Amino acid sequence: MENQSIRYWNRKWRRIVPLLWMIAMAAMAPVSQAAQDPLILGVFPRNKATETTSMYTPLANYLSERLGRKVILVTSKDFESFWKAVTERRYDIVHYNQYHYILSAQSYKVIAHNQEFGKDAVAGALYVRKDGGITEVSQLRGRTIMFGGGKDAMLSYIAPRFLLMQAGLKEGDFKTEFAVNPPNALLALYHKQADAAGGGDILIDLPVVKNAINTQELRLLAKTEPLLFLPWAVKRTMPTKLGDSIQTILVELGNSDTGKNILKTAMTTGIGKAGDRDYDPHRKMTTAVFGPTSAAK
Amino acid sequence: MRLNLGAKFTLTVLIILAGTMAANTLYFLDTSARFHEQQLVERGRALGRLISLVSPDAILGFDFLLLNHYTREVSSQQDVVYGVIVSPQGVPISSYVNDSDPLIKKRLQAADSNDIPKLLQRLDGQDALIRLEFPIAHNDVLLGRFLLGISRQSLQSEFRRQLIIQILVLAAIVLFLSAAIHAVFRFNVLFPIQKLIAASQKVGRGQYTQVAAKSSDELGLLARAFNAMTEEVRQEQAKLHRQANFDTLTGLPNRMMALDRINLEISRARRSVQRFAVFFIDLDNFKNVNDSLGHAVGDELLVATGARVQASLRDADTVARLGGDEFLVLAPDIANEVQVEEIAERLIKAISEPQELNGRKVVAHCSIGIALYPDNGENVETLMANADNAMYQAKATRHGSAIFFTEEMNTRLRERMQMEQDLNLAVELGQLALHFQPIFDTASRRHRGAEVLLRWHHPERGAISPAVFIPLAEATGQIVSIGDWVLEQACRNWSAWRNGGINPGFLAINISRIQFRRRFSKRLAELMSIYGVPPGALELEITESVLLDDHHQVAEELGSLRAAGLTLSLDDFGTGYSSLSYLKRFRFDVLKIDRSFVAGLPNNPDDVLLVKAILAMAKGFDLTVVAEGVENHDQLSFIAAQGCDLAQGYLLAKPMNGDDYLSYLKNLQTGVEPLRLSASRNQRTTSTS
Repeated sequence: MENQSIRYWNRKWRRIVPLLWMIAMAAMAPVSQAAQDPLILGVFPRNKATETTSMYTPLANYLSERLGRKVILVTSKDFESFWKAVTERRYDIVHYNQYHYILSAQSYKVIAHNQEFGKDAVAGALYVRKDGGITEVSQLRGRTIMFGGGKDAMLSYIAPRFLLMQAGLKEGDFKTEFAVNPPNALLALYHKQADAAGGGDILIDLPVVKNAINTQELRLLAKTEPLLFLPWAVKRTMPTKLGDSIQTILVELGNSDTGKNILKTAMTTGIGKAGDRDYDPHRKMTTAVFGPTSAAK
Repeated sequence: MRLNLGAKFTLTVLIILAGTMAANTLYFLDTSARFHEQQLVERGRALGRLISLVSPDAILGFDFLLLNHYTREVSSQQDVVYGVIVSPQGVPISSYVNDSDPLIKKRLQAADSNDIPKLLQRLDGQDALIRLEFPIAHNDVLLGRFLLGISRQSLQSEFRRQLIIQILVLAAIVLFLSAAIHAVFRFNVLFPIQKLIAASQKVGRGQYTQVAAKSSDELGLLARAFNAMTEEVRQEQAKLHRQANFDTLTGLPNRMMALDRINLEISRARRSVQRFAVFFIDLDNFKNVNDSLGHAVGDELLVATGARVQASLRDADTVARLGGDEFLVLAPDIANEVQVEEIAERLIKAISEPQELNGRKVVAHCSIGIALYPDNGENVETLMANADNAMYQAKATRHGSAIFFTEEMNTRLRERMQMEQDLNLAVELGQLALHFQPIFDTASRRHRGAEVLLRWHHPERGAISPAVFIPLAEATGQIVSIGDWVLEQACRNWSAWRNGGINPGFLAINISRIQFRRRFSKRLAELMSIYGVPPGALELEITESVLLDDHHQVAEELGSLRAAGLTLSLDDFGTGYSSLSYLKRFRFDVLKIDRSFVAGLPNNPDDVLLVKAILAMAKGFDLTVVAEGVENHDQLSFIAAQGCDLAQGYLLAKPMNGDDYLSYLKNLQTGVEPLRLSASRNQRTTSTS
């Protein structure tokens, strides 16, 4: 009898143990998977893929090293591809513009923001030529306004549109032109290709602009309140601890030479902490420009 | 500035080379510059087209930064001064200017650096700038234009640099080539030419050198031609030298060489205080040999004589033929007169040895005159004259003798020269006068005419014998003018007498050999015409010596005289170079027996025989015979008995001057018998007027 019991429980344990082991493995899989799978870092295609790669690979590597986990930088050939990845939440960490964040806020949580020229926030602005005879935003009715980038450009389109709307000018009241990027919008204004140009209020001070044109011939017509600059966000499903780590790493980049070099390579002067509320002003402007539910693209 | 052949040639080559290479270099540089400019323009076009191609996207996308990048990239290209993209309205929308370029720098200082259109305007028209423009279009819509400025300055600088380098290289090449060509020319052409020049100069100095003629080119041919010419010149010179210095017949030195050797000997003798002797040798009666045996034999005699003389002399002695039958011997280093006499004796003996010439035995004699240096002269002219003088003395003295020149001869020579000068003036000063010696018919003793004799009364020396001054006049040639004067005076006198009613008979005028040579017949005809003298009134007395001259000329002249109706008389027959063949060859009317044959009549048997022979011969030839020098009755009787037609001499009448002769004639006219003249030959009759 006892031999039959031992053989019975042996048979049982031979069945149960593997099963328990499998259950335990299954339970632990996500954790271990989560610990082993590389984090995907996505950067919006503001620049060419090669430039994006050059700019952010050092950061990705640094994150990998600091996190003890591979961080892979993924570039996109165009915005559509990038946005598809965002909407499909394929990125673990994403860096894009303010508007992109607002649109993807349900999936992503902002943890940090870029600094430009040491500043956390940049206002949106409208520029005109000093010899253009325009002194009020309202005088831009029927004129050509050059925006930079595209309709998703926070500072180069949305904020200036907000200014125009505040002056009573809605879409159709002026001619819209897009330069490939904000500096070119200002150059276009300089070269009299438009009557006004939209961009960040630091645009006129950018070396690339100052080197190209005589900025003394232009002046700022109007600007918005300062808006926090380009955000860094993580997937909301990312463990908080991991997200916090990433935030800390990003924010502390300016504290070391290695970090400073990484920031310099990424063409930013620093990265600051950011939370969702910090982008409420942006939400207000985008809602005003695009409406509560319509997306820019 | 005189340039030699080498310098001229090198300069020419240098100019040609420099010109050719300069032209070639300039062409090359120009072509290269054009090519490089074309390259530059093509590069500009490539850039422009590229910008035009890539700019539409940027323009349409308002990507001015990219356009700036493009223009900056373009403008950073070598030689690009500016790259500007302008809108269709001409407004610059992107520009980049190379403000380090000198073209830009200068104008940026004057223009507003931001005012690109103004700057471009200022740059317009600059030769150093190539301005290109390219449209930027998309779908046939003009989006703008790309303006590209390319500087030619680097091209021009490079051109200048290349030009300098090429000039230096060219200069080096030209100089090197010129030097090389000059060296080759000098070696291959100038050296041979210089050798030819040196050789030519030597030839000019009488050194007939030959030049090496190794090459077969033109210079080699020239050298050979030069050598051939030099050889011909040498031979010709030798020939001329022989002709100039040697006698062609005998091969002996001629007069010129003799004089030259005497001069040399004088210099040598003066230095070494030596004496030498000059012998003048004249063959006696050589003309007879020529006339009797022929000139060929005469020449053979001369040749043989020259050889014999040479054989009888020492090696140091010189024998020369002076001309005709005269020889000269120069004997240097004479110790004393005895030595000279010995030489003279050897010479006389050698010459007088019988010679076999043309199958005949000929014996020649000579007369030798000797002059010693420095005794008888210290220069060649004096020595020659004195030796000549001595030779004439020897000839006059005795044939086959040698006489030393003496001071007396010198004195006589001086006197002779003085007389010669005086004789020159005698006619002008009226010192000459005609005398007339009547000629009579031996049978009737009647006056027939007169021989015209010339007298010279020297104001200081008194009457000078015709025997003295006539030979002198003949020797000096004065006899021609004197003879002409005599003819004229004779014609004038005859005419005057005749016009005065006097019948002078004939006048026999002596004609010298010299006058005969000068063909005086024409002059005589003139005088006879002028004075109206008929031919029968004149008789011309010609001595045998005249007949020694050119027989053809003599015959011709005699013929002319005979044709004029004149009577011709052979004077002094038998005394000179008598040849009976003359009587046959030349037609005479009268024969005059010389006084030397008459002087011995009638006692000298030889003279008797001679006179008889002469008379017989003359009669045979139907000649009238006149005996000269009849001084006594015996002579007159004899010659009259022998049939001599006429006679003259002191017995009958002495020579008298013209006035006295006129008186004589008048007396005759009024006296005895009239004289009748006839114009025909041999019929000389006289009649009273």
